[in-house]
Amino acid sequence: MELFAGTIDALRILVEAAACRRSWPADEKVQWPCGGGRNIVFKEDMALELGSPETESVSCLLWTEDISCIDPGTVTMIGPDFTESHGRSLPFGKVVLLAVEGFSEDNAYERHRDLDLLRYDLDLKGFMIRAVSQHMREWCRISRDALAQGLSAHVLGSSIIRLYRKTPYVKGVEIIFFTSSVHDVRRLGEITAPSGLIVAAMNKMASEMDFECSSCDYRAVCGEAEGLKGMRDRLMDRSRRSVHG
Amino acid sequence: MADTKILAVCGKGGVGKTSISSLMVRMLRSRSGLKILAIDADPAVGLATALGIRVRKTVDDIRKSLIGDIRKGEAQGGRETLRLLDYEVFDALEERDGFSLLAIGRPEDEGCFCKVNSLLKDIIGDLAGSFDIVLIDGEAGIEQINRRVMKTVDHLVLISDTSVKGLGVAHAISRVASEKKAVDFKSMGLILNRVRNRAETDDIRARTRLPIYGWITEDELIRDFDFRGRSLLELPDASPVLSSVSDMLARIGVLQG
Repeated sequence: MELFAGTIDALRILVEAAACRRSWPADEKVQWPCGGGRNIVFKEDMALELGSPETESVSCLLWTEDISCIDPGTVTMIGPDFTESHGRSLPFGKVVLLAVEGFSEDNAYERHRDLDLLRYDLDLKGFMIRAVSQHMREWCRISRDALAQGLSAHVLGSSIIRLYRKTPYVKGVEIIFFTSSVHDVRRLGEITAPSGLIVAAMNKMASEMDFECSSCDYRAVCGEAEGLKGMRDRLMDRSRRSVHG
Repeated sequence: MADTKILAVCGKGGVGKTSISSLMVRMLRSRSGLKILAIDADPAVGLATALGIRVRKTVDDIRKSLIGDIRKGEAQGGRETLRLLDYEVFDALEERDGFSLLAIGRPEDEGCFCKVNSLLKDIIGDLAGSFDIVLIDGEAGIEQINRRVMKTVDHLVLISDTSVKGLGVAHAISRVASEKKAVDFKSMGLILNRVRNRAETDDIRARTRLPIYGWITEDELIRDFDFRGRSLLELPDASPVLSSVSDMLARIGVLQG
C-alpha cells in the first residue's frame, strides 16, 4: 500500500537540489544519556531552539513499502548542524522516511498514528521536543550542556533511526533535517502539505460515523490517493456489516 | 513532582494577594538555581502585570481554541490532543530571568468539556513538576484552583488585611479547604497585610486558630510602585518588605532563612 509516493518523489527533488547538503551513515550504537523522561529545556539553560513557534517548522513522517525509495540508515543535514549554529534559534524541518511492510487498508491508520507518536519516546538528556501533528510542527530545544557535549544532527538522527528500527514492520529509516533557511523549510512545508492532508483524511475517516463523501473537505485527496480510497471502501463495508448484522 | 513545592495564595479581593505573590516571586528568584513557576489564576491576570509581563496566550485561550476545533469536528484522538495541548501550554509559558509565568485566564463559560479541563490540569501538573517552586496566585476561593489548576498544593497561604471582612473570607476559605476537602494541602497559614503595628497582629493572633506566617506593614514604596504601574520585581534589595517576605517564606518552609 502506498499513500505518500508523490510526496517522497517531490522531496527527493528538493533534497537533491539543496546546495548545503551533508549525509552520514547512522550510528545505531550512538550513546547519549537518557533524560529520565523529563526533558524540559528552559530558555535560561538553552543553547539552541529549532522550529519555535516564532519561526518556520515542518515535521513529517512518510512511509513506503518500496525500500528503493529511501536511503536506509542515512542522516542528511541541509543547513548548519546544531553544533555549528551561530544563533539561538533556527528554522527546522524534519522528515522521517520509513521503509515498511505489511501495511493494508485495515492497519495503515493505526500504524501511522503509532509511528507518529513514537517521536515522543525519544529520551535524550538536554533535548526537548514539543510537536503538533495536526499542524506538522515540531519545536525542539537543545541545552547548553547537551550542545557542549556534542548533540549533533548525526547523534539526533541516529537516535531517531534506532528508535524506529525497534518497530517490527519498519525495515529501514532515513532522516532528513533542514535548518538552512526559513525559505527552505517553508518550501519543505509546501512539498509535504499533501501528506498532511492524507493524514487528516485518515483521521476523519477513523472518527466519523457516516461516509458522506459528496460534502467531505477531503474529497479531492481521497480521489487522488488510491490507498485512501481503499481504506474508505473497507471502512464503509465494515460499517454496513455492523448495521445489517 | 516529589521535590516541587507548591504554594497557593488565596484571600478576599483587594487584600494584596497579587502584590504579596509578586514579592514572593521577587525573593524566590533572587535565590540562584531555583526554578520558579508563577501561575496567575486570576482572570484579570494581575500577577502578570505586577511582574511586568504582557500575556500573549492564556490556558483558557488554548482551551477555547480546542473546543472550537472539537465543535468543527477537527479534533484528533486523545493522545494527539494531549500533545497539542502540551505544545500550546509550553508556548503560553512566559520565561523570564529567574522565573516563568503561566496565565490561566477566564473561567470556562462555554459548557462542560471536562475532558479538556482534565487534560489541561494534567499538563499543568506535569509542567509544574519541572520547577522547584510553584506559586499560584488564585482567585478569592480555593475551589477555582482545584477545578482549574491543581488538585494538590503543599502550602495554602491565606492573605488578609486587618479588616473583619478580610479575615472572615480567609477563615471561610480555610473551612472550605479543610472540611469540604476542596484541595489537598499539607499546611495552611495566614499572612496579614497592611498592618499598622504589632498590637494589631497580636490582636488577630488571639482571634484565630490559623498560624500566622507573618505580616507586612503599609509600605509607601509599594504604594508608589502600584501607583506608577511599576513591576515589583524592580523593588530595591534593601526594601524592608522584602526582608519580611523572606522570613515568611522561611516560616512556610520553601526558603532557607
